[in-house]
Amino acid sequence: MVKNLYNYRELIAALVWKNIVIRYKQSYLGILWAVLKPIMLMLIFTLVRSFVGIDTGNIPYPILTFAALLPWVFFQESASEGVNSVTSNAALIKKIYFPREVFPITAMVTKIVELAISFGILGAMMIYYKMMPTVYSLWIPIVVFYTMMVTLGISFFGAAINVYYRDMSQALPVVLSLLMYGSPVMYPLSLVHQKLIVEQAAGHWSNNLYTLYTLNPLAGIIDSFQRVMLKGLAPDFEALYPGVVLTLVILPFSYVFFKRAENWFADVI
Amino acid sequence: MPIIEVNHVTKEYQLGHITSLKENVANSYRRLMGKPIHRREDFKALDDVSFSIEQGEVVGIIGHNGAGKSTLLKHLANISKPTKGSVIVRGSVAPLIEVGAGVNPELTGRENIFLNGAILGIPKKIIQQKLDEIIEFSELEQFIDTPVKRYSSGMTVKLGFSIATSLDADILIVDEVLAVGDLAFQRKCFDRMEDMIKRQGKTVLLVSHNIRQIQRLCNRVILLDHGRINMEGEPQAVCDSFYEQSDRKIRANIDHTKTHTIASGEVELVELYFLDHAKRKVDSLSYNENCSIHFKINVLEELEDVTFGFGFHTTDFLYLTTHNSEEQLNINRLPAGDHELVCKVNRLPLLPGIYLVRFGITSGKAAAGVFYGESLAHFQVIGDIPITVRDGFFALEANWMQIGV
Repeated sequence: MVKNLYNYRELIAALVWKNIVIRYKQSYLGILWAVLKPIMLMLIFTLVRSFVGIDTGNIPYPILTFAALLPWVFFQESASEGVNSVTSNAALIKKIYFPREVFPITAMVTKIVELAISFGILGAMMIYYKMMPTVYSLWIPIVVFYTMMVTLGISFFGAAINVYYRDMSQALPVVLSLLMYGSPVMYPLSLVHQKLIVEQAAGHWSNNLYTLYTLNPLAGIIDSFQRVMLKGLAPDFEALYPGVVLTLVILPFSYVFFKRAENWFADVI
Repeated sequence: MPIIEVNHVTKEYQLGHITSLKENVANSYRRLMGKPIHRREDFKALDDVSFSIEQGEVVGIIGHNGAGKSTLLKHLANISKPTKGSVIVRGSVAPLIEVGAGVNPELTGRENIFLNGAILGIPKKIIQQKLDEIIEFSELEQFIDTPVKRYSSGMTVKLGFSIATSLDADILIVDEVLAVGDLAFQRKCFDRMEDMIKRQGKTVLLVSHNIRQIQRLCNRVILLDHGRINMEGEPQAVCDSFYEQSDRKIRANIDHTKTHTIASGEVELVELYFLDHAKRKVDSLSYNENCSIHFKINVLEELEDVTFGFGFHTTDFLYLTTHNSEEQLNINRLPAGDHELVCKVNRLPLLPGIYLVRFGITSGKAAAGVFYGESLAHFQVIGDIPITVRDGFFALEANWMQIGV
């Protein structure tokens, strides 16, 4: 797969460039629309938080939630685009052969560009709140790479299913918006940790529940993001490993499934 | 070693809609319970097709609609996978299957050249080198920085063809792309194809309904029929066989097609028939033999100053010739009742094939049309033709000689 990726790097680059150019070509604000979503969500969450009160320690809530939204929006958008990427390129699939994994990967790389812009905004917010990045922010590439692997695990499988049953593209947004509440986006992971591990709120189920919670790779990803960018700490491996294990199991399976299904894409799509 | 090998390839499609998830689950349940499942009908688009192509060969694939030509090309281009059998391709393939598949309407012509190049696997460096050549070939210099959505459809196809043919691959797979653009551009495309084939020695697979083109370009032709190889070999022999098949099919269809008739109600065409040189009623005439065409009409109201005309046309309404009765037949008054007209044809010059007849009657000083009909009857021309008049519709009476010898 890596070899294929290298061979088709020019194609992926061209398709990513096409996606970006097309999306913003006739719009006045251009690519700034890409960062509108995390900013809006941040404002809404900040508003909500002024009613319910979420303890964020010594870090201002807006920047904490924005740092959570960065990987979340990237994951959510690239997974939904990825799942639709094969069906929306039906014309190409019927006419020209190249490895079909190019489509989900392209969808994801497109979102990387938008993620980079969001990073600029995060940087501006850090300046505003007078926060200095630490050496731990060097973890970011690794965390982003891990997020990409999680995304691909979903995209490959979902995109292949979606060719046969379009139910997938309908179901995914619903599942993803539910998953957002199951991920530490609005609230920090430390709150979940506090409840389950420290207070043992669910009795003897608490530890298992925490593992179940962190089985969602996004829990570890978002927490790591906030730790390395804002808190100046190394990632919390206890929160990361269940998700990593799950991803390592799912990704190869998902890729093989995609490659098997690929043979019939042109016939079925 | 052949550059392309197709071994016993069978491709089945299921007819009807793709089964829904619900139906799949229901089928699994029935299978578990040992009940018969609902299966959709299979359709064999390709049925045990085998052939191989050597480096540098130019092979044409012909056949009626639905014979499996495009399906076959899709397998060679690795877009579809066979149900059974295998396809081995040794070399890079440039699929010119419906050029412009990757052209995006929002991007400009120039941007599309780069995007399409990448889709076809042309390295960016090569595209940059060839950019001017591509733009020049497409004849779109003036519009190259305009979004393709503002192009006419012809311009889009020109752009697509220009990009696709700049690709440097071992094997070219061409599906009907030569029918693009205006006549001048078609000519250019054809020349470029010919250049690739004859001078660059590429292996080419060509699918076309333009049999004459196939005959001219290919060294070998494969005739597909209902997913099977019906015939394979010399272009001449295979194309002739295909023509015969087509003619039979056309004959079978013509009887069901409606004739197009405009009549004022003053005249009716009762019968139209052909007599051969021996005055026998026939519906196939021999090339270069005398024959006659008879029109029986029923005049309902008396007509004055009548002129008759008839002509031959092809099944696709190309008017080949007309002949009217002016100066040969002066009818000042045609009373009501039945009349019969004959037009004698000396040494029928039409080449073998299927032709149709149109017939018209005008009346009065202003030659107002009182009857006109096309496709009124069809006939087949048979017979051996001399080698000098191979292509076309007509034999020309002409002689070659060298001056000064």
